[in-house]
Amino acid sequence: MSGQSISQHPLRVDTKERILPEPTEDTSRNLPRLAAVSLNVRLKLIKMADTVETKIQNYRTAPFDARFPNTNQTRNCYQNYLDFHRCTKALSAKDQDVAPCDWYQRVYKSLCPTSWVGRWDDQIEGGSFAGKI
Amino acid sequence: MLGVIAKQLKSHPALIPLFVFIGGGAIMSIAYLSRLALRNPDVSWDRKNNPEPWNNMKPDQQYKLFTVNMDYSKLKKEGPDF
Repeated sequence: MSGQSISQHPLRVDTKERILPEPTEDTSRNLPRLAAVSLNVRLKLIKMADTVETKIQNYRTAPFDARFPNTNQTRNCYQNYLDFHRCTKALSAKDQDVAPCDWYQRVYKSLCPTSWVGRWDDQIEGGSFAGKI
Repeated sequence: MLGVIAKQLKSHPALIPLFVFIGGGAIMSIAYLSRLALRNPDVSWDRKNNPEPWNNMKPDQQYKLFTVNMDYSKLKKEGPDF
């Protein structure tokens, strides 16, 4: 496990064959059009992206979620799937880096049966997905 | 109706524990069912204004009555905000 880079990790999802950007001081590369956003908000976004990135790098499995305390985790799977798509839609609409949304993708890939994920992905492509994204 | 029952209880006082236990069982069932109907985060009464009520829970909020080996006070929100 130590010799693998994160892009070869079996659980890593390579939708764009991209390695997560390392936290550097030059943040203008990661957050392109935020000149109009105040410095405090920008710092908060950078900090949030860094902590989520470390969490994603140290990811082992889906953590306990107080919203779904029982044995049946169906809703947990579905909610994380919805949250991933909502997060990518919201962050790309705001022109921010979409990398923090990978947390939700890791969680739903841990929880959901792959046949469900495949079926939902096909439905989203075909426009017949029933959930609200 | 209650007068008839009271008269019968006076002549057969051994029936009083029966009423106590049956009444207690009925009250407990109704209380649990109403807790499920009103407090369960999986139940959505108003789909337009509150479509996903489980998302209104705090990350350290406990719904179950008894938990073993789960320290809810240490939980935090995991996913990023968007």
